[in-house]
Amino acid sequence: MEKYLRDRTAIAVFILPTLLLFTIVVFNPILQTFYRSMFEWDGLSEAQFIFFDNFTRLFQDRLFYDSMYNGLLFAAVLVVLQIGIGTFLVLAVTDSAIKYRKFLRISYFIPVVLSITVACQLWLSVYNGEYGLLNKFFETLGISYRQDWLNSEKGAIFAIAVVNAWQYMGYHFAILLAAVKSIPEQYFEAARIDGAGKVRAHLSITLPLLVEAYRFCFVLAITGGLNAFANMFIMTGGGPGTATYTLTYMMYRSAFRVNEFGYGCASATMLVVQCLIATIIINKLFGRESVTY
Amino acid sequence: MRVIRKKKKQHIFLQFFLWVYAFISLYPLIWMVFYSLKNNDEIFVTNPYGFPVHFRIENYITAWSRYNVPVYFFNSLLVAVVTVIGTITLAVMFSYAVARMRWKLKDTARIYVMIGMFIPVQVIMIPLAILVRDFGLTNTYFALFIPYIAFNLAFSTAIFYGFFRTIPFELEESGCIDGASIYKTFFSIILPIVKPAIATVVIFIFLSSWNEFTMALILISKESLKTLPLGLLFFQGEFTTDWGAMGAAMTIASVPTILIYMLFSEQVENALTVGASVKG
Amino acid sequence: MKKYLSLLAILMLGVVVIFTVTACGANQQDDSSGATEKTDGINGQSDKKQEEPVKLRIYAQYADEDTKAPYDYAVEALKKEMPNVELELDVQAQDDGQKLKTYAATGNLPDIFQSGLDIINTFKKSDNILVLDEYAKKTGFIDKMHPSAMNTLYADDGHIYAFPYAGNELILLFYNKEIFEQNDVKVPTTYDELLTAVKDFRSKGVTPLSIFAKEKWPCVGLYDIFATRLEPEGIKKLDQGKAKASEEAYKQGAERIIELVKAGLLPKGATNLNYDQAAALFHQGKAAMFINGQWEIEASTKALGDKVDWMYYPAHDAASVEKTKYAFSGSGGPGGYAVSPHTKDKELAVEVAAFMSLKYAECKYTRRSNPILATRVDLPIEQPYPAMMEKLSVDIPKITSTTAFAWGLSNPKFKAALEDATQRLLTGSYSADDFVKDLDDVIERINK
Repeated sequence: MEKYLRDRTAIAVFILPTLLLFTIVVFNPILQTFYRSMFEWDGLSEAQFIFFDNFTRLFQDRLFYDSMYNGLLFAAVLVVLQIGIGTFLVLAVTDSAIKYRKFLRISYFIPVVLSITVACQLWLSVYNGEYGLLNKFFETLGISYRQDWLNSEKGAIFAIAVVNAWQYMGYHFAILLAAVKSIPEQYFEAARIDGAGKVRAHLSITLPLLVEAYRFCFVLAITGGLNAFANMFIMTGGGPGTATYTLTYMMYRSAFRVNEFGYGCASATMLVVQCLIATIIINKLFGRESVTY
Repeated sequence: MRVIRKKKKQHIFLQFFLWVYAFISLYPLIWMVFYSLKNNDEIFVTNPYGFPVHFRIENYITAWSRYNVPVYFFNSLLVAVVTVIGTITLAVMFSYAVARMRWKLKDTARIYVMIGMFIPVQVIMIPLAILVRDFGLTNTYFALFIPYIAFNLAFSTAIFYGFFRTIPFELEESGCIDGASIYKTFFSIILPIVKPAIATVVIFIFLSSWNEFTMALILISKESLKTLPLGLLFFQGEFTTDWGAMGAAMTIASVPTILIYMLFSEQVENALTVGASVKG
Repeated sequence: MKKYLSLLAILMLGVVVIFTVTACGANQQDDSSGATEKTDGINGQSDKKQEEPVKLRIYAQYADEDTKAPYDYAVEALKKEMPNVELELDVQAQDDGQKLKTYAATGNLPDIFQSGLDIINTFKKSDNILVLDEYAKKTGFIDKMHPSAMNTLYADDGHIYAFPYAGNELILLFYNKEIFEQNDVKVPTTYDELLTAVKDFRSKGVTPLSIFAKEKWPCVGLYDIFATRLEPEGIKKLDQGKAKASEEAYKQGAERIIELVKAGLLPKGATNLNYDQAAALFHQGKAAMFINGQWEIEASTKALGDKVDWMYYPAHDAASVEKTKYAFSGSGGPGGYAVSPHTKDKELAVEVAAFMSLKYAECKYTRRSNPILATRVDLPIEQPYPAMMEKLSVDIPKITSTTAFAWGLSNPKFKAALEDATQRLLTGSYSADDFVKDLDDVIERINK
């Protein structure tokens, strides 16, 4: 048996394909990103080592701060809308008196399975200034609250974040729902005997038991916000101007629009740093050591 | 008595909120399907919200023939299926060796592959694009297969590893006693047992590669290789002013995933939940 | 679980089957319609001479009538001339070169591609564009050039990188005479009058100016119109590093756009409008003015007949109306169909590129009422010029200065910054100071 499970050839056969593929396609590029961030490089011709100059430049670049700020805003919107609404819906839906629970659950989740392109194109038409659903709606109500949703310097990033929040709220909903379902019934019974009201029961029992689930949700929402790219790529192209840039978008622009691959790698590196910091903070806030598998 | 009334009030409020959000979730989609059956005049002026009156099926014909929808569709399907098969094959083997076989660096190897879960694709986009170019994979299906498989490895490994840890070692012992080779044991005894985990991983990977956008954007340019999310990106020509046909194209692109979801809603949710929480 | 797995498998299989079947059906449909995005060379190929069929990928504009008609015309001509060549069209994305650059970076370059100066300058450094000096002579392309348009052939370094078809084109401000009359608004000759006109139109619910600002070059063009009122060389001077954005002309240009936008110059969601959407507003009489290149003349005339005209850019003040009347924005620059150095058969690709370019210009001349071309066309025109073109032809010799379109800017970094900054101006809430600072930062870095 020992010999059986120590069969070196078998181990090699089992692990090498994965290790090889992973090293070449994922790990090597990560190192490349860090390494190349110290070069002035157009992606094709010879690179020039400039040490930390890209980072010095990055810290003086207004676009960098704008992008970072947008990433944080995006993350904040996701946290508030996805986790906030998700929590509320989960608590409401687990209330046994609610009918058609299955239908509700399915409808919350459907946007998740849509292609992101479809979700964005759909919302482009919802936001359309002249004919969009939203402005039409205000028009019909007779409210002169017609907005230029995506053409606004300050508002565009929120408009885009809402699309992402709308699409992936179901994700958070499902995570939290699964967590609630795994709470043993006795806890609630105990609360009922104590005569605690529903809200209090949730606050004192349910929510604390969801710490793990919340940690997932926060990491998901915040890193998702910092990394955001596809939504703005499809909906505004980062615009108007650079108003909806995020660090990922900045990296894309540096590499593929102005041919500064080194500089792009520097913003990618900063992105990693940010996500790392965010994850550490979240883990600290939610106590316990990081996720174990 | 008062308690009951209070309860009722609360109840109605909850109900109301639940249904309002269901409406917010679904209405944009319903609106899309509706306007895919209308012409511009109806969408903009006469009947912006309601049920279509004339059922303009021709929008669908326009969308189908103007776009390469069938091609995108086929590509998405092919890419998703190959990614699923490739990832599962590699990940099952790897996590088996890591979870059950005995060798020195197994934990290091496992943690090493897990790194993949914490790195956003966006970070390695630039080197990845260059890698694909240097390997001459540009404009082949492999430009998507390989990165997709590599990127899904970390997650699937995590799932399978967790699963392998829960099954008893007697299984291998019985294989060992029967004199079967380790490969035979692996295929005929172990694999059938991990089926539930495989089902979860299949759905998760299928949906995520079906809908993947960022890598496809960078790595694929040829019209005939584009996947759905990419193909629908560039609405061209007068088409952009033809809302009906645009809606039709989007509807066509959404129907399959929605159908799959409706049929397997619980599996899909579980798969994505497990996936998401592992990824977090 | 097992049940679900097999169900899933069956479902997937079903989907595959359905879509393979329908995909075949769709192919048949494609063949019969023919005029879809794919340019099939299959028809009529069998009975021609038996040459090896070659497939070339071409990245070209194919968005509106002005780009579709000439392209289709050129493809038709190519089918007759070189029946063995089949072109696979990759429609140029309206994204200011971003997609093409991504192609180059990922080694995906099409055999033939539409390029502007920015693309040429970027690609020549990285060896992604073929030098055509020899070929231009060999194919006789050089002899067909208008002597006055040689600037569209040679890049700054004296080499040829693309076969141009467009000549020295200009940005025009189109307007709908009827809307102006109906609303009793004076066609503006100065900035102040323009501002008044914008306010008047807004109060009457008419969109003053339509612009397809999803593409960034029209934003640059709009900005250049105002910048050139005080500095005739406009954005070109910034591009060459001879001026700074903090200078009066440039700062004021930004301030004026902001003021106009705040007064309600643009339609809702302007930065998300593409050509078709923006043009529809103007063509359907919902917008009073429209900004585009002179190639818009044909389409606007077709839509609005004699109701449409173009105006001189509103001057800085009443005193300078006559002085700056002929200072135009726009111009030609090196650009056109370029060839990838990685293409299999260079000779052939070059030959096709040159041919396509000539035929493209030919169609523009004979059918699209556009004499502003790089190459001479010896065929008669098929319809008389619209009044607007007649008017422009009279003015062309009087032009005192021109600048550049965004795609004619030589520095990719400056171009990207200017495009972003001018598009951002259109929100009205980006301050002129930020605009100046953002641009000057880039200009400074480039000149370092």
